[in-house]
This record gives sequence, C-alpha cells and structure tokens, in this order.
Amino acid sequence: MSQSPDTPNLRFSAKAVAELESLKTHYPNLKACILPALWIAQREYGGHLPPEAIAEVAHRLKRSPAEVQGVATFYSMYNTGHKPGRHMIEVCTCLTCSVCGAWDVAAYLEQKLGIKMGETTPDGMFTLHGVECLNACDRAPLIQVGDEYHGPMDEQKIDALLERLRNEPESKVVALADALVQVHLKEEEREKARRAAEAVRN
Amino acid sequence: MGEYKLLLRHSHDPAYATLDGYQRLGGYEGLRKALSMDRQQVIDEVKTSGLRGRGGAGFPAWIKWNGLPKQKTKPHYLICNADEGEPGTFKDKQLMETCPFLVVEGMTIAAYATQADVGYIYIRGEFVDAARSMRRAIDEAYRAGLLGKNILGAGMDFELHIHTGAGSYECGEESALMSSLMGERGMPRLKFPHAPLPTISGLWDSPTLINNVETYACAPFILSNGGAWYASIGASTKNSRGTKIFSVSGHVRKPGNYEVEFGTPLMELLELAGGMKGGALKACVPGGSSVPILDAEACQKAIIGYEEMMEVGSMVGSGGCMFLNEHTDIVEFIWRTSMFYKDESCGKCTPCREGTRWMFLILDRIKAGQGRPEDLQLLEDVCRQIDGRSFCGLGDAAAWPVAGALKVFRHEFEHYVRHGRSLVARG
Repeated sequence: MSQSPDTPNLRFSAKAVAELESLKTHYPNLKACILPALWIAQREYGGHLPPEAIAEVAHRLKRSPAEVQGVATFYSMYNTGHKPGRHMIEVCTCLTCSVCGAWDVAAYLEQKLGIKMGETTPDGMFTLHGVECLNACDRAPLIQVGDEYHGPMDEQKIDALLERLRNEPESKVVALADALVQVHLKEEEREKARRAAEAVRN
Repeated sequence: MGEYKLLLRHSHDPAYATLDGYQRLGGYEGLRKALSMDRQQVIDEVKTSGLRGRGGAGFPAWIKWNGLPKQKTKPHYLICNADEGEPGTFKDKQLMETCPFLVVEGMTIAAYATQADVGYIYIRGEFVDAARSMRRAIDEAYRAGLLGKNILGAGMDFELHIHTGAGSYECGEESALMSSLMGERGMPRLKFPHAPLPTISGLWDSPTLINNVETYACAPFILSNGGAWYASIGASTKNSRGTKIFSVSGHVRKPGNYEVEFGTPLMELLELAGGMKGGALKACVPGGSSVPILDAEACQKAIIGYEEMMEVGSMVGSGGCMFLNEHTDIVEFIWRTSMFYKDESCGKCTPCREGTRWMFLILDRIKAGQGRPEDLQLLEDVCRQIDGRSFCGLGDAAAWPVAGALKVFRHEFEHYVRHGRSLVARG
C-alpha cells in the first residue's frame, strides 16, 4: 500500500497508545507530550529513534516530524544516531569520577570490549559511552547501565557486571525507556495500559 | 558544630519513604497547619524563616512565593526543579530516594500558598531510582487524599505529575527547564527585566513557581515548627538561615551527603566525611563545578553561608563539595571542568557556545604540553568575555571556575606552559 508522508507506519503497541492517551491529560497541549512520547517511542522501537519513530510521535501528537526531530536531537539520552547495542554502558568521566579513577575504568572497558567510546561491539551486545556527571559522586568512579547505577567500580566489578549483562536477554536501553515511561503514569493509568495490552492478547 | 540533621534526619529509615512511616514521624503536620492558616500567613511564615533557594542562586524563597498574582485569572503552575546536574552534587537524588514525602508535602504547601492547580516534578532522566521513589510517594498520597481533589477535606485541589528530562545539564536552568517541560529543546528564555518573571508568566504564559527539591523539602519544617524557629538555625551568619545539605566527594574517606547548620566551618564537612584520603588537602570546590576553587588556606577560613563563602572567594552554590588532595593536577581538573561546559552549552548564544569551546581548546593544548606563553592571558580574556554576557547563567558558571583557578593556582598553569608538563607528581 502506498503511503502518504503524513500517515507513517504506526508501530506503537496497544499499551503504548493507552500510555500516550493518559499522558495527554497531564498537559494543556500535545506539544508538551513530545518528551514523554519520545520515551515511549524509544521503548517501542527497541531502544532507538529512527526517522520512522520520530514520524510516528509527530503524527500521534499532530506536530511536524522536523519539530520532533529538533527536540529529540537536543537531548543526549534519545538515541537518534546509530542504533545502540543491547546494553549501553555509560562511563562518567566528570569531575569527581575523573579524580577517583574514571579514566582507568574507561580504559579497562575499552580494552575488555575491544571498542572505543561511542562504538558498539560487532555482536551488537554493548555500546560504550563517556558521559558527564551522573550525580552520584559518592560512588565514584561510576557507570550507568540502563536503569542501574554501579559504583564505585573496579576491574573485578566490571568483569562481573559484563558477565551478568551478557546473559541478560532484555535490553537495558529499552528497560531504561520503559522505567521512565512508567514513572510518568499514575497508578490507574498504568492499570489502564496493562488492560489495553491484555485486551489485544486475548 | 557537627551535623544538624533536619531534612535528612530519617533518611536512613526505609519507613520514611512510606506514607505511614512519614506520618508517624511527623509528616504532614506542616500541610495541616498551612491549611488552617490563610495563604498570606503561609508566605509570611516562609519570609520569617529566611529560607533561600537551595538550587544554587540563594534567592529568597518567599519573594517567589509572594510573586504570583493573588487574584487568579489563569491556571497557576508549580515546578520542582529536580534536574540535578551540577557536577559534584547528589543531594536532591538522595532526598527524593529517601524522603520523597518531604518533597510532595513541601510542594503541596507551596501549591496552597500560591493557588497552584498543577505541579510538575522535572526529574533528570538518569535518576530512575529517584523517579520511582517519587512515583510511589505520589501514588500513595493520591490514595490517601493528600493529592488530587479536596485535599484533607479542606477544599484544595492539586494535581502532581512527574516529567523526566532526557539528558541535558542546561535544563536545570529554570527558563530552559520550562522550555523542556513544554516540549521544546532545552534552551533558556528571555528573562526579567526583558520579559516578565515566571511568577507572572512562566509555563504556558501562566504564573509559575519554580523551586529546587531541597527548597520545597524545607517547607514542611518551616510550617510545622514556625518560621522563627527555622530562622534561629544558622543565625550566626549574615543572611543564611536553616540547614544546607552538602554532597561531599573527591579524595575523602566517607563521601556522602552531610547536612549542616549555616555558620559551620567548611573544614567540619571534611571531618564529617572522614578526612582526606591519599594525601593532604590541596583544594576544594565547595558548591558544585560552577563555583571558584579554594586552596587549602582559604578552606581553613571558610564558613558555610551565602555571604561568608563569597568573602573567601567562592560560593555555597548547590552544595556539591569536592575535596582534592595534594596529588591532584589542578590544570587537568579545570580542563575537565571546561570540557563539561563545552559539552553542555546549549548553543543558543555566541559568548557561551564559542567561549566554552575556546576555553576547552586552550586548556587542552596546555594540558598536552603545547601551551603558549600568551595562553593564560587569552584564557582570562575569554572568561571576561563570557562572564555577564551570556544569555543564561551557564556561561558565567563556565567562566568562574577557570578564572578562579587561574587566580589561585596560577603557578601550576605557568609550569605547564613553561615546561610542557604537570607540576604535580601523580600519587
């Protein structure tokens, strides 16, 4: 079927649609839903925001894709660039971490995974990123993996963490996006989304 | 003087993050008291308390609270700035994780005083645990009739939502935060006197009150114990009242959050954090990455207070206190600071966008041993051209640490330029 540029392929699940409907009641206009809707999209599109995801958010919020793309690219946690690996490892190298051994942690991770900061392992398992202050400086040197903070890190702990993550089938990038969607929603709104998902399954 | 635990008094007790536990330990007395007073009395109580904004600027809280129109013609909004991003700071994170009801109750008190209909807690996207904790607290408060319609049967309505950020330091700046909350790139907006204050025209051009997490968390104590009682804490300082939470990190034995009364010597924070690790004290950045660095001698004299810290050449800021030992390469530390601001500049205005990049490039070549004799002067020039000329405070915040370090640790920069390497042997 041919596709008009205004009606992109819509991939949001029933649950996602219900979540977005609830979110719309939190703000006086649809524009304000762009950020939370991008979190939903990042989860629905497997941790990534390709142009189709941007188009879907724009369509559902009646905004232009250019506007949504402009918003999404401003924020470092929306993965608008290349598709990240299953797990994203973010190494804080900011002030406290940098004086507490963050460069060693970063170098060890680069060596262990055989990639540089900003790269993804060939098997698509890990993406490595240097990040600015994660604001848990009491646990320096710190790393973030999806919805988890880990620190203070040393080589042993990195080894153990990588081992665990390799056996973790669920993407931590998706887990983070989902966690952030859930905190936006009230109890009854989460329940509504759960029921919407169930209705489709039956 | 030691610790003065007011906000963090029960932070070790998991029950405090539940409504039951919170109420058993005195929670919601402040809101009950507020609802028995008229709105202006609540604001006057905050005025008496001398509470100043805990996000970094130290602006008197009551002036903001009093600034919203008393005759309502539009919806009023409330924002809690929980976009804690200042390097070295992690107090709001702990407050939200361990004392979420202090924030909810504090916001509800402020909502009553300012006739706010809807509130948003803008939490940075990385803070999943804090956001989950706030979510649980908000859900519980709704269930118990402490949020929503007719709160405590007093006829007050207040909706409270969580809105998460997505990775941007700039969104901690209040006007940029509002841009972000309204679905835009997180760029700052024109400010007073060129535009109305947020209290007149903020979110969606409606009157808006915006305060930091720690500021709201003080409100329940001010209401339940009285503003005069609160003002008696820290009374030895010129104009700082109450307690302040400092996030102590760096080369210390016991990094963590320590709450102290204003008027406490800075060195007591170091003592509370178990003293130095790996070498003697060399420097301290007392209030987050934006504030000028102090050398050990200045640390000895520094008293915690908004005006008192300025007397020794730094600031209370957000309370992100980093102690550095004698093996720290200050040039490298400032290089890393400048990298942060270069990365986080939103790009809106020229002084900050270009200035932060040039500061980084100059520091980068100094650190690489390629420094030129004129570089220090050039750095100072760039600092001067950013400070006070950028669209929002990020530019100032980028210039102060560099300018401060050039003053206090100039010999280390000169050594780098002259010899192409650090003065400091790595410890």
